[in-house]
Amino acid sequence: MDKIKENAFVKKVGFNSLVLFCILILLYILFAVLVPIVNSDANANFVSWAHILSAMNYACFMGFLSLGVTFVIATGGIDFSIGPVMFCAALIAGYQLTMKEWPLALCLVLCILVGTAFGTLNGLLVTYLGLPSFITSMASMMIAKGLGSVCTKTQPVSWPQLSDASGNGWYRNLVRTQIGDMTFPTGLVILVIGAVICAIILNKTKAGRYILCIGSNREAVRLSGVNTKGWETLAYILCGTLAGIAAIFYVGVYTTVQPGLGDTFNNEAIAGCVMGGTSMTGGVASIGGTLIGVLIMALLQEGIMTMGLQINYQYIITGLIVLVVVYADLRSRRRRN
Amino acid sequence: MGDVILTMKGIDKSFPGVHALDHVDLEVRKGEVHALMGENGAGKSTLMKVLTGIYSKDSGTITFEGREVEFTNPREAQDAGIVIVHQELNMLGHLTVAQNIFIGREFMKGKFIDDRKMNEEARKLFDQLGIDIDPTETMSRLTVGKQQMCEIAKAISHDAKVIIFDEPSAALTEAEIEELFKIIRDLRERQLGIVYISHRMDEIKVITDRVTVMRDGGYVGTLITKDCTKEDIINMMVGRVIYEDPKTESQVAKDAPVVLKVEHLNAGRMVQDVSFELRKGEILGFSGLMGAGRTETMRALFGADPKQSGDIYVNGEKVDIKSPKDAVRHGIGYLSEDRKRFGIIVDKSVAENSTMATLDEYMKGLFIDKKKENDVAQKYVDILKTKTPGVDQLVVNLSGGNQQKVVIAKWLVRNCDILIFDEPTRGIDVGAKSEIYHLMNELVAEGKSIIMVSSEMTEILRMSDRIVIMCEGRKTGELGIEEATQERIMHAATLRN
Repeated sequence: MDKIKENAFVKKVGFNSLVLFCILILLYILFAVLVPIVNSDANANFVSWAHILSAMNYACFMGFLSLGVTFVIATGGIDFSIGPVMFCAALIAGYQLTMKEWPLALCLVLCILVGTAFGTLNGLLVTYLGLPSFITSMASMMIAKGLGSVCTKTQPVSWPQLSDASGNGWYRNLVRTQIGDMTFPTGLVILVIGAVICAIILNKTKAGRYILCIGSNREAVRLSGVNTKGWETLAYILCGTLAGIAAIFYVGVYTTVQPGLGDTFNNEAIAGCVMGGTSMTGGVASIGGTLIGVLIMALLQEGIMTMGLQINYQYIITGLIVLVVVYADLRSRRRRN
Repeated sequence: MGDVILTMKGIDKSFPGVHALDHVDLEVRKGEVHALMGENGAGKSTLMKVLTGIYSKDSGTITFEGREVEFTNPREAQDAGIVIVHQELNMLGHLTVAQNIFIGREFMKGKFIDDRKMNEEARKLFDQLGIDIDPTETMSRLTVGKQQMCEIAKAISHDAKVIIFDEPSAALTEAEIEELFKIIRDLRERQLGIVYISHRMDEIKVITDRVTVMRDGGYVGTLITKDCTKEDIINMMVGRVIYEDPKTESQVAKDAPVVLKVEHLNAGRMVQDVSFELRKGEILGFSGLMGAGRTETMRALFGADPKQSGDIYVNGEKVDIKSPKDAVRHGIGYLSEDRKRFGIIVDKSVAENSTMATLDEYMKGLFIDKKKENDVAQKYVDILKTKTPGVDQLVVNLSGGNQQKVVIAKWLVRNCDILIFDEPTRGIDVGAKSEIYHLMNELVAEGKSIIMVSSEMTEILRMSDRIVIMCEGRKTGELGIEEATQERIMHAATLRN
């Protein structure tokens, strides 16, 4: 253990992230072995580019949700609205695109702005009115669901396909790009770039410093003369904005959005974040961990589906993992105090 | 006064590094009200905690009703008949009065709670005590005084033989105190033994029969109340030998510029019409007993808590301080009495804590200039002789004294000219203590000005140039160090209005 501590690389990346990465690899190997055993279907070969691409579909929009909520959890808060906010953004922007024929670029911006608006709303309510973040985000989750339905007159919205005559389908290239015979997971690359930017914000800027410190001891930061409300609000704004970006990738994968849904993604995004070592009590957060946490979730989903099992098994396993991780975090904190 | 009901003899208790009780005696008779007095930290509460089994004693004997007893928890003491009425009331606000009184021993009707029976029993109890409270009322709707009556009724319902009142009058109005005294006299009539802890001299004279005085964990003596004067009691409370040399004269010029002036500051019950001045290069001590409102005054001044009214002038200019941010902008730094909650961020590094109030100056564009930050943190580690393996060490791993230095560093990095040290040496060992004193003297020599809130008399007399004394939210005295004595300070600290 001492040796590991001295290693500069390990210190920089974080011990937890390395462990997580190993779990990710082991999980992949596990599925590679298990899938052919469980599922006798000839197509059920897990070690293939197609499965990786499929897992990445899920990972890229889920990744942006998880990155966003990492900032909020770092302050010691929680945001349960991100899934429906993502759907709401996709619905509103998609409606404008298909029914009002707004230009695509504008609709993508609108997507992000809807997310930002919800994030700002959550942030202001939590910090300036002092409402508990749990309740606030539950309420805005309902508002997001309802608003999405109202704006689209309760109809599903289908964003254009890549081959659409309007030429408005190119946004799908953001998720995967066809280069000759090869399909390239562009979404994953953009997600990694996004994660790097988030990591820089969290670890190198004033905003990140204050967000983490507020999570550790809000009162001490306030008594140092820092505008804690402002910085805390910013965490929610970042979270909302990233949910808006996630919406673009969601439609990039599925094109069709149903009104009144999206809640399940909250739990999965938060699970990815917590799995990555971000403490639910705030003050400790790891962007790298969140990214790997999301990849583990994506791999779990893909693996379980390929085994021919129901998606419900993924929920059970994820739930169990979250319990174990949160308990381990709690224990290590108690020991430290 | 009747027979002896409770005797504590030679009670000794040590905590790591502190001899909290040094062979303390206390004797309570049936039908007497026995005052227990002493300064902050004299050991009154510790003694009561030993009695009720919250702490175990190291040596000594407790005799109750002729038998030697040793309780291992408050429940046992309660069952035997010794009950504490705490200063902070332990009531569940959303339950009714009767439900609170009988909590943990509810009357049952089969599987269900019998509220009607509990209301009846509570009403009987109140009638017996001459208290006018509706048992079906929700607890949180009662005044503090009425809630306390309920606590007393609860104690009586436990068939208490000895009741300990821990500063019962601190939160009460005059009328409520009268009612409380009426009940206490009634209990005395019924031959209960009553221990009454209070700082209020005039109450002691009115309600108690005997006074036992403690000082620095030791037993000083027991007096018959009606045979002694207030001065006798104060002398017993403070009559310690001061080992460290007290400051005999102030080095601050009488006409040194006033850097901070506070006029008619009001913030709730604990800060009422407080005015004072702080001069350049001065250490202004704030003395008083627990709950005198000193910390509350500082928090209101610093903008940590809202204030109702009052003017603050920094360097002669009127300033509007609404939040700590405003205070810091005007060069005021505050070292809280509760370091871990309000001072440091324990799971962040020394460097991160050091620049917490100044981060704007350690930026390179959008990013934190880590090198510059580490350099300044290292600079203050060197200046303050903070013992830490490095500036990236988490503060949680440092000792109390060194944590305090990190908080000081935070305000020095900010270059604050007015520093409020609230209990600067609380929980700090002796060696680190004198370092902090030395540091404070250096700071004022450099022209900074310090307000020092302290509950330690020796600290006040050793460090201050001038002393402001508060009692129950009001300023009750101000003394230059030349004229200050323990007696005069304690006199002002127990002065009600």
